[in-house]
Amino acid sequence: MHHVTRRQVIAGLAGGAIALQFARADARKAQQPIALLRYAGPDSGVPNPFQVSPAGPGGPILVSLLYDTLTWKDESGIIPWLASEWSISDDGLTYTFQIEPGAAWHDGAPLTVEDVAFSFTYYSRHPYVWAPSDVVQSAVVEGESVRIMLKQPYAAFIEDISGIVPIIPRHVWESVDDPIAYTGTGRVMGSGPYVLAEYNATEGAYRLIANESYWRGTPRITEFRQLTVPPEALIQSTLQGEIDLASSPDASVADILADDERLAIHESVPLSIVRLAVNTTRPPLDRPAVRQAIAYALDRQFIAESITRGPAIVGSAGVVPPETPWFNPDLRQYAYDPDRARELLAGERLTINLVADARARDPDLMIPMLEEVGITLNVQRVDSPTRIQLLRDGDFQLGFVTHIGVGGDPDYLRRWYTGEESNAFAQGSIFSNEEYTRLGEAQAASLDATERSDLIFRMQEILAEELPTIVLYHRRFYWIHDPTLFTPMETWGGLMNGIPFPHNKLALIAT
Amino acid sequence: MVQNLLRLLSRYLALVVSVVLVNFFLPRMLPGDPLDFSAGDGTEAAVPLTASARANLENYYHLDDPTLTQLRTYLSELLRGDLGFSISRSAPVRDLILDRLPWTLSLLLVSLVLSAIIGTTFGVVAGWRPGRRSDRFLTSASGMLAAIPEFLIAIGLLLGGAVGLAWFPLFGGESVFVESGAGLSGVMHRGLDIAWHLTLPAATLVIAGVSAFVLVTRDAIASLQHEPWLVAARAKGLDERRVATRHALRKIAPLLITFFGLRLGSVLGGALVVERVFSIPGLGLLGFQAIGARDYPVLQALFLVSGLGVLGVAFLVELSYLRFDPTRRTRQ
Repeated sequence: MHHVTRRQVIAGLAGGAIALQFARADARKAQQPIALLRYAGPDSGVPNPFQVSPAGPGGPILVSLLYDTLTWKDESGIIPWLASEWSISDDGLTYTFQIEPGAAWHDGAPLTVEDVAFSFTYYSRHPYVWAPSDVVQSAVVEGESVRIMLKQPYAAFIEDISGIVPIIPRHVWESVDDPIAYTGTGRVMGSGPYVLAEYNATEGAYRLIANESYWRGTPRITEFRQLTVPPEALIQSTLQGEIDLASSPDASVADILADDERLAIHESVPLSIVRLAVNTTRPPLDRPAVRQAIAYALDRQFIAESITRGPAIVGSAGVVPPETPWFNPDLRQYAYDPDRARELLAGERLTINLVADARARDPDLMIPMLEEVGITLNVQRVDSPTRIQLLRDGDFQLGFVTHIGVGGDPDYLRRWYTGEESNAFAQGSIFSNEEYTRLGEAQAASLDATERSDLIFRMQEILAEELPTIVLYHRRFYWIHDPTLFTPMETWGGLMNGIPFPHNKLALIAT
Repeated sequence: MVQNLLRLLSRYLALVVSVVLVNFFLPRMLPGDPLDFSAGDGTEAAVPLTASARANLENYYHLDDPTLTQLRTYLSELLRGDLGFSISRSAPVRDLILDRLPWTLSLLLVSLVLSAIIGTTFGVVAGWRPGRRSDRFLTSASGMLAAIPEFLIAIGLLLGGAVGLAWFPLFGGESVFVESGAGLSGVMHRGLDIAWHLTLPAATLVIAGVSAFVLVTRDAIASLQHEPWLVAARAKGLDERRVATRHALRKIAPLLITFFGLRLGSVLGGALVVERVFSIPGLGLLGFQAIGARDYPVLQALFLVSGLGVLGVAFLVELSYLRFDPTRRTRQ
């Protein structure tokens, strides 16, 4: 039985071989209490684990301010949260958690081991859609601790399950059979640093007030508002002082705000990815040489600079972005080389179809680049749900995809290609490679950090060689904020499963 | 009379049944799936959604039922007055509609009535003396306005009124989390705040809609100029304004009422665009979001509400003919 402390978790997960260059562990500045912070975020529905919207990452981040998880992440790695400590059995199948004695629900009732065991049991019937695996077999109370048994060893359990699944109050939910439609008492009651004071469903606006008796520390910001602002009005409303925190994927916001003395920009770690999903079962893309030719033919630096209007982070062929813990810096990359592309195509002229969202501008830049090496790119522009369906059905050759979620535990490299996930960016990941599958299963079960790191690095090498997806570039988010009110926090690997948002609840509470 | 009314009712009943059926199948014919959860903004679909979680949701929302079973469920729920449960918003659709209906209705009716009053007035002015400078100016200006799409007018007003002058809010139907106070002053305060928010959206719809009324009224009034009764009224020395309002307008009233009814559908379409641009939380914005989410229950209900609304107005227009059109009344 391994007893795990915070230091061991960080050291173990990071491992000696993992690049930790992204970690920005500067101490957060001590700040004065702030009365109000207004954040431009999406309308995510009722912010409890069963009714929050699964579209976009705004919902679970909002839930994280109202509810707590067993573990959490700071700038340097995984830290204990509701679980003060935990141990893992030698076979990796049993996790035993000790729970913080002072934790309490918003109604004042103590948060107990029974609540924790109940939560995991309840989620087995009513899954939390943000949990990336249904690996939990059972959860039982054992004295003063909770024992969680897994169906199989799962290396990502601490980061991706215990760090994502909100613990819910048993006294509210045990009598609720239909949590999706529940409207009764305690519908939004967690143990988190904020209490939901009001949700204006019509305007998609939330008013959260500080939980003054929060067990982990008093929230520094007394009131946190999340307001739905249309993208077109975002910059203007920030400039007009109606919003204190907002994000944009466009680096030119820095120029727009250059003369504004109130606002500053924080550049996130590049956890957003822009890539081409490749249908490797469809000719001519079933040939690795054609996929590689496309990668060489695209001037990805130019595309990235043109679209983001900022410095380019050319896509790593291994998918995992630079500046994140599991990035393999020694991969085969495909620097812009149209001659090499022509060489690989050996004079063959090809016509390839690309499915892309109607608003995507990148394909327009790709057309002449590919034409130059003998590939005619036909772009089929559709709306987002149609694109997802075409990719899910395998009815495509190339699919243009942008998303986040590539900074957390790298088990996503396995899940996308095994059909275990059903989300939009797993769809279209058509890739069959025996070694890759074997490595994916091995790393998912490995509790040895060094061994796991080697396996993940090898998986990236295979991706870079086979190119079942061609990463165009990695994107940052540019967070506009008022530094007198809020200091953005860069969470290790992104919040939860790689969400590049700066309002980690640690940044909102005085620690 | 009763027989004619029954015939009219049965015709509209058949139309309602058709609307219900089309509304059920139309959303399902769209490519895409309600459980794909795409945000479509580059931050999309970070949700892992395991296969078992997806299966669980499919089962919960009966998306795995055969289409005919889904239709049966939909019809039986509809007969009970249940519009279903939103997949993307985890809320009863009836609540969502009732919550947003007042926004769209107020925007729609205010702009339609204003554009009808303004448009009819200018139309009478233009058509009363056809060929004069005022006629030429109003007809040309209306033609130009009619050629500008709603979204362009909306963006122009937004840039001028909310960004440039900053006289109006950039978005939203009302100020959130503002204490309006209790009693009449609270209601007044909230009403003024909503009016302030709806000024630019309503102005957009008025500007976009006024030209159609100008042109229709102008042509109708101009065509009356050689009518014997009008010549006789003028020969008797009756006041021109009195002739125009009491006699000419009454003569073209059935036409204007029909046109008002017909405009409802197109103004509703315009309202959807305007709600999107100004983020007014009405049915248009809800529909826009529901299409992106492929939220079948919400789409069904929205199509049903708007379809029934347009049918209802058309029905009322047909009924009004009995009162305003003497030839129909005689035929009856």
